[in-house]
Amino acid sequence: MSHDSRSDDDDRLTRRHYVAGAGTLATVGIAGCSDSGGDGSDGSDGSDGSDGSDGSDGSDGSDGSDGSDGGDSASELEIIHWWTAGGEQDAYQALLDGFREEHPDVEITDNPAPGGAGSAIDTVVQNRVIDGNPPSTFQIWPGQALTPYTDEGLLEDIGDSVWDEEMRGAYLDGVIDLAQPAGDLVAVPINIHRLNNLFFNVSVLDDADVDATDIDDPQGLLGVLETLDAETDVTPLVHQTQSPWSSLQLWESIFIGQQGVDDYQTVIGGDVSSLEDEVRSALDLLASYLEYIPEDAGSISWDQGNDQLIEGNAAFLHQGDWAAGQYSSADGFEFGSDWDMVPFPGTTGVYQSVIDSFVFPTNNPSPEATEQFLNYAGSVDAQERFNPIKGSIPPRTDVPMDEFGDFLSRQFEDFQNSNTQPPAIAHGTAVAPAIQSALEETFANFNENRDVDAAYQGIVDAF
Amino acid sequence: MSSGIFAALIRDTGGSVRSDGPDVDSDAAGDEASDAEPRVRTDGGTVVDGAGERSGSADAEPSLRSRFRRSRFLESIPFWGPPGVLVLFFVYGAIGWNFVISLTGWEGLGSPDYSSLSTEMYTQLLADSSFHAAFQNTLVLLFAFTVLSLVVGLLLAILVDQKIRLENTFRTIYLLPMSLSFVVTAIFWSWMYNPSNGLINELLRAIGLDALTQAWLSDPQFKLAAIIFALMWQFSGYCMVVYLAGLRAIPESQYEAARIDGASTTRLYWRVIIPQLRASTMSAAVVLVVFALKAFDFLFVLFGVNPGQSADILSVMMYRVAFDRVQWAYGSAVAMVLFAMALGVIGPYLYLQYRRGEL
Repeated sequence: MSHDSRSDDDDRLTRRHYVAGAGTLATVGIAGCSDSGGDGSDGSDGSDGSDGSDGSDGSDGSDGSDGSDGGDSASELEIIHWWTAGGEQDAYQALLDGFREEHPDVEITDNPAPGGAGSAIDTVVQNRVIDGNPPSTFQIWPGQALTPYTDEGLLEDIGDSVWDEEMRGAYLDGVIDLAQPAGDLVAVPINIHRLNNLFFNVSVLDDADVDATDIDDPQGLLGVLETLDAETDVTPLVHQTQSPWSSLQLWESIFIGQQGVDDYQTVIGGDVSSLEDEVRSALDLLASYLEYIPEDAGSISWDQGNDQLIEGNAAFLHQGDWAAGQYSSADGFEFGSDWDMVPFPGTTGVYQSVIDSFVFPTNNPSPEATEQFLNYAGSVDAQERFNPIKGSIPPRTDVPMDEFGDFLSRQFEDFQNSNTQPPAIAHGTAVAPAIQSALEETFANFNENRDVDAAYQGIVDAF
Repeated sequence: MSSGIFAALIRDTGGSVRSDGPDVDSDAAGDEASDAEPRVRTDGGTVVDGAGERSGSADAEPSLRSRFRRSRFLESIPFWGPPGVLVLFFVYGAIGWNFVISLTGWEGLGSPDYSSLSTEMYTQLLADSSFHAAFQNTLVLLFAFTVLSLVVGLLLAILVDQKIRLENTFRTIYLLPMSLSFVVTAIFWSWMYNPSNGLINELLRAIGLDALTQAWLSDPQFKLAAIIFALMWQFSGYCMVVYLAGLRAIPESQYEAARIDGASTTRLYWRVIIPQLRASTMSAAVVLVVFALKAFDFLFVLFGVNPGQSADILSVMMYRVAFDRVQWAYGSAVAMVLFAMALGVIGPYLYLQYRRGEL
């Protein structure tokens, strides 16, 4: 073979030159394509970039006219959110239904980024924002969680366009503050969950002759857990240690219960070392609590643990009031007679808030529709549709509570009577994401080794 | 890089010209390694040397031979050129860019500032206790997982190779875990390891070993071991298949010869068969190491971004730092360490293969 190829070398060479030429052309062509792609995304119009990165957008013919005609693009609203689990999904659909009724001309592109508590959404949204290709709006915790965006001016000030006088009057001041972490109002809170709840199984406590309302402080709860452990077969406290956020939020509640909200504000302000003894004492108590959690806490999720409470195998659960949704969907497990809730001992009058909000990213592909949506999200109608299903209370204080059921109505009352609504570390509102993540790492280690010294150092280093 | 490809191309040419002769080349891979090695090396050596000389003095002495070879090189450009350029741009270009980012201080959602580059992120890494833990765990995982999987895979392969009944069924059963995604196996093993109703502890209790039951995935003493065991379960089947292929390539006559010489079964495998499986071991080990470095999915499904210090590995740390904390530069630095580790494993392997003329 090799002899043959040498003999008709000349003839082959020419053919090969054709191939070579074609190859070169292809290379140049590819380079050319990537060049023009680069130009497109460099330009100020973000919608060009979306063609490449988002298949669903690219297939839509209307994209081509985006650049020239702003009004046309306003008819398509892309929402990124993480509400994909049962009740959340239904609540979100109810919200969209309400919006469609008011704005039938707007087409909604639903873009869920599933993953509990936004574990995946950050990655999606951050990448798109950095690429200059943000969605119309996305779900995010207000407060410090917004700071990576506000630091770079990536969120539009909606103080005038959305937050009119009427809306400002309807929100509590603490919530409005969270919507303006850097001065400008940039977010519309749509729901509020309470974090400092202590749920319990009524009959389990009755059998053990324990009255949850008698527990005055976090130390007292430890005594009750000890009693339950000694005298009954139930798991005293349902908890999960698979991921660290549950321990982190429990520590927050213990700290507030022991030291009050002022010291808590000092800590989230970053001054941990001035409160060394207080922080350590809360960690000590948390370590003691962890003696009374399920054996398989490291292998379960919080809702699997909650099933134990529903089945009567466990007594207490510290969790945000999203846990109540599981009780209402359980058969024959009624509020008041089967389960109940008290504020975490020592935190009566505190409504520690976990909030979801929507924002207006700059470079917006559909400014008009986004504004319509945010206006709607801040309205009574939207919050009345969304929150009863979500199991949260509306941030607006003027929403009628007819649809909300006994438990949420009581929560709403507590909310309006609360002295203070501090933000939550484990749910983004209290500290910037980098600090939150470092604290979560600290508590992941604490779940493993319950080493108070290391955890204290970790908390100091996180800020 | 191009000179490497060039040399490889030239050597290929040499090989094909020579291949009319005795078929030493094809056997060299697994069989008679010690015998084939020097011959191949000599062949490769001279050609590479020639290539080196020519690149220096090609213009000075344009002999017919070198011109021919040279034109062959040019002619082949259209075939490996475009993919080469694409790989160069998208793979090596991205790695290079990542390295540059790791030298900046890029944080948050703005743009990186390329004007002041420093190795600050790397010095920060050296002082970071969670990096130490992650690095150590990665090494332990890498080593223990690879060795255990190879050993188990080899044992399985030898057992399956005994001309047993239902051989194909067993092979399928052992290989099946490999085809599952990490997400599936992670959830599956989290059930297995559940301390109160998981299969592992139930089994221990059933045979009266209550004392050995553990909270496998929450006790920091056992966490990493439990993960390594689960990964080993998944990948030893792959090792088995690789080894089985290696075993099948060994001629029956060698078994017979060893038997006639009076070797026991242990001795037969230890002295005759296993030494010939070097190529299989190498290729399986490289794949395993790469999977160990990428065990991210498994840990992420089990624990999210915070597995805790006892099970944290570099790939999880990289994700946590970059996407949870928006510290892109620091995440890039972790990624570079990970890249260096992967290169540290694959580089010597490729070099060895190259020296042995198997590349």
